[in-house]
Amino acid sequence: MAAFVQLVILGLLAGGVYVAVGVGFGLVWGVLNIVNLAHGALVIVGGYITWQLFTAFGLDPFLTLPVDAVALFVLGYALQRGVINRIIRAPLLFTFLLTFGVNLVIVNILLLIFGSDFRSVTPTYSGQGFELGGIVIPYVRLASLGAAILLSAGLAFLLSRTRIGLSIHAIAADRDAAQLVGIDLRHAYAVTYGLGAACAGVAGGLIAMIQAITPTAGEPYTLQAFVVVILGGLGRVSATVVGGLAFGLVEAFGQSIPGSGSVFANAIAFGLMVLVLVTRPQGLMGRLR
Amino acid sequence: MRRWAVIAVAAVATVACGGSSPGEQTTGSTIVLGAPLGLTGSLTKESTLTQQGYNLWLDWINARGGIVVNNVKHPVTIKYYDDTSNANQSAVLMQKLITEDKANFLLGPYGSAATATDAAIAEQNEIPMVEANGAAQSIFNQGYKYTFGVLSPANKYLQGVIDMAATLSPKPTTIAMLSADDNFSLEVAEGVNTYAASKGMNVVLYKKYKNGATNLSAEVQAAKAANADIVLNSGHLQEAIAINKAAKEQKVNAKIFAYSVGPSTPDFITALGKDANYVYGGSQWTPQVKYTPAFYLTVPEYVAAYKAKYPGLGDPDYHVAESTAACLALQRAIEKAGSLDPKKVRDALAALDVTVFFGQVKFDSRGINIYKPMVVEQIQNGAHHTVFPDSVADAKPQYPTPAWDQR
Amino acid sequence: MIATAGSQRRWRRIFLVVGAIVAAYALLAPLSSLDAAQSAGIPLLTDKFWFRIATYVVMFVVLATAWNIIGGITGYAAFGNVAFFGIGAYTTGMLIAKAKWPFLVALPLAPVLAALFAALVGLPLLRLRGHYFAVASLGVGVAVGELVQNIDYNGQPVFGGASGLFLPIYAVGHRGLFFFYLMCGAAAVAIAVTWWVLRSRFGYGLIAIRENEDAAAVIGVNTTAYKVAAFALAAALTGLAGGIFSQWNVFINQDNTFPIEYNVQMILMALLGGTGTVFGPAAGALLLQLLIQFLGGSLPISLDIPFVSSEARPIIAQVILGLLLIVVVVFVPRGAIDFFGGRTRLSLAYLRRSLRETSL
Repeated sequence: MAAFVQLVILGLLAGGVYVAVGVGFGLVWGVLNIVNLAHGALVIVGGYITWQLFTAFGLDPFLTLPVDAVALFVLGYALQRGVINRIIRAPLLFTFLLTFGVNLVIVNILLLIFGSDFRSVTPTYSGQGFELGGIVIPYVRLASLGAAILLSAGLAFLLSRTRIGLSIHAIAADRDAAQLVGIDLRHAYAVTYGLGAACAGVAGGLIAMIQAITPTAGEPYTLQAFVVVILGGLGRVSATVVGGLAFGLVEAFGQSIPGSGSVFANAIAFGLMVLVLVTRPQGLMGRLR
Repeated sequence: MRRWAVIAVAAVATVACGGSSPGEQTTGSTIVLGAPLGLTGSLTKESTLTQQGYNLWLDWINARGGIVVNNVKHPVTIKYYDDTSNANQSAVLMQKLITEDKANFLLGPYGSAATATDAAIAEQNEIPMVEANGAAQSIFNQGYKYTFGVLSPANKYLQGVIDMAATLSPKPTTIAMLSADDNFSLEVAEGVNTYAASKGMNVVLYKKYKNGATNLSAEVQAAKAANADIVLNSGHLQEAIAINKAAKEQKVNAKIFAYSVGPSTPDFITALGKDANYVYGGSQWTPQVKYTPAFYLTVPEYVAAYKAKYPGLGDPDYHVAESTAACLALQRAIEKAGSLDPKKVRDALAALDVTVFFGQVKFDSRGINIYKPMVVEQIQNGAHHTVFPDSVADAKPQYPTPAWDQR
Repeated sequence: MIATAGSQRRWRRIFLVVGAIVAAYALLAPLSSLDAAQSAGIPLLTDKFWFRIATYVVMFVVLATAWNIIGGITGYAAFGNVAFFGIGAYTTGMLIAKAKWPFLVALPLAPVLAALFAALVGLPLLRLRGHYFAVASLGVGVAVGELVQNIDYNGQPVFGGASGLFLPIYAVGHRGLFFFYLMCGAAAVAIAVTWWVLRSRFGYGLIAIRENEDAAAVIGVNTTAYKVAAFALAAALTGLAGGIFSQWNVFINQDNTFPIEYNVQMILMALLGGTGTVFGPAAGALLLQLLIQFLGGSLPISLDIPFVSSEARPIIAQVILGLLLIVVVVFVPRGAIDFFGGRTRLSLAYLRRSLRETSL
């Protein structure tokens, strides 16, 4: 029983990172209808910023998260405003290709700057934790889950309570009508992508603490973001949170299969995603629009 | 054009210092070696280490004027291409090296998948390939005649750790074996599973996980539940780091933590800080080994040469050393064959038996070096130390590993 | 440039002629490696490397042309076609390596199995539209690759497991020539099938589905059957390429038969050349593969970047590849074929207009 509870706890804690990765990806996909293949690369940019601030100035990694968010927001805003906005009216697949190109450029620029060494942020409390009736809870993972939930809550607040959030809702509902009521589409698109990138940056900061990063380490996260967003349901932040935690649980239970363990983790996750898509396209939490 | 320039320069150099070498040696054609490497993409780190190893030897041999074949000195160039860490592209580039660049001999790419693909190309073109970075035995079980691996095969990687554990007291008796699902790692794990019983040990847990996984919490939890004395991991640097982090988080207190790949690289220590201490690793080579080389540099000279050429990177790890050793094997085989004919050099490789700084290099009938032992190293106070076998060790194993809250 | 109907026709004719000459050379040059040609004193125009790279390029012609049938003509953005490539490769590979079938007997089963599998997963998947279909097909692509690598029976891997499958090296004279023409044959079949589809009732139905699926159903197109048939057709052609690849490459494993980046590459090629056309994907495949090989330094002419160390060169080449993709997608969203004298012509006005049409 204790082992089962521990497994559930570990799965939920791991889910924090998937939530953080998923919310930004889901926002960009749900609102802008862009499947952002560069998302993983943006995540790793955030990871390197945290690593750089930690090693150069000894800054606590959790304090660097706002820096990641701001830096990535600026990068994302510029990327959308300067490049992606130019093909928004082209067929869907062109954004696949464009973001694939952006991914290639970012990954290789990181390779030029940081080289291929494995980097990790290891503060003094890394790996420490407390025990609760035989269940181990590591601080860093608990805090990263908390940070991911806070990030999602902040994003949900921004989307529902602010002017720019309302414009984002408006373009998600109907782009052309939004323009008619006087919303600056180019700015609203760029802000949306910037917010998605900012979430990616925060996710990267968390990832740098719990694993080692290299310039190519973001690619698996792009794939996982697909699953997280589909599992929860596209279009709502709270659904992505559920999707991320569910993905963490699926992964943990996949790993606990005796013997072959997690070799089928991806097959199970993607198989589940296909199943959800085919039977419940609105996601586990979604409503049909 | 450039090749002629090299020859001309070499010729002038030879004339300039003429008479200094015994016997009359003239300069012959340049020997072209080739290797596709993952200079971008997911295998960049390991491929760069491989390239460093090749280049260390290249500088050395050309400083001496080249490889001597029947009293003629042949300068050497190595042609590199970037296969973007893609095995299919590696095969394209291998073929280009053979036909377009007229490579006389081939050096291996990085990784068992690319090596398996390239071995088939070498075989079809009947050009010898000496490789140092594909340890999966499945490559060598195909009856290929032109592929030679200077490194110990995968199944030996962690057997040294078990040998060492058997000498310790109190003797550890139970093993939890975690393994990535790629061909190399699975062979390492199978090597442990079949070998442990002969040393009186029991594999109480064997779990496979997805190659490249970054979250291995549940695997580590299973290892904790199994309460094994030894936690072994067969994977790569990324997974080794993930397992070590998870082991600390979940307070898994085994007597021995040993990982196949990872602990030997400087990145393992920089990424984990003092949590890297006490971790054991199976290693093809360490800077502390004591072999008496028949030619080329001694071990301390090699380490010094590496640090001079690549300052700031610390000691060379075994990826670098084994790659240099592949060049040495090829060099010696060419000298023995007394010819640049690929078939004669192949035969010389098959008959090769020489000890260099890397250890004994000798190939079995399949073409893999089963004669060199693996060594075990341990990270002690943030530095690598060789702890087994005793004949090459520079420190005693720190055993048992203290519990996480007592470090 | 002054736009006249005459200059437009001239451009098109020039491109057709150049294309035909290049194709004829590529198809005939390999013959110079035959013994008869050599003894007749014809200069050797090709070598083993030429064959390796040409076969590789033609393989992508097959993949991109096959993708075009489902992605371009039917408008369903399949993102997991690599699954069919892998299934084709493993079908042929298993029959040769385990059942000891001769290659040419094993090969026809590769497209059959790939098509069957596509029909099976296509039935549920093709009910999804837009990005949802793309993502679901990606999921299938990833899952199949993983299952193939990891399925055990009684502790033994069924499909060769992580070690992959080693096939015996195919004993045939002029091996390079043989596989090159075989792959060219597959490409010819793929292009001929596309040509036929575009001129058949079936093809009109597919285009109707692409333009407006609900309307297509109303006018009596059995959309489910049409979509599944298009998906299976694309899968068969992709599987055929996979089957040839397995024997040509001798060694197959999950890495080299289920690479996710091939999904991106085949779509990229089709888009570059122009989707929905007969020769567009083939042209795009040639263009992109040659570009990749050029930047990778494996062509006779190679790129020299000044002030860049040899370590940074390959990385810079990848950055350039990414930037080129961005520029092409932004400025030529209708594909290179369209660009070179199809419906429009090479002019600043065209670039400006297409930018205006696609941007916010």
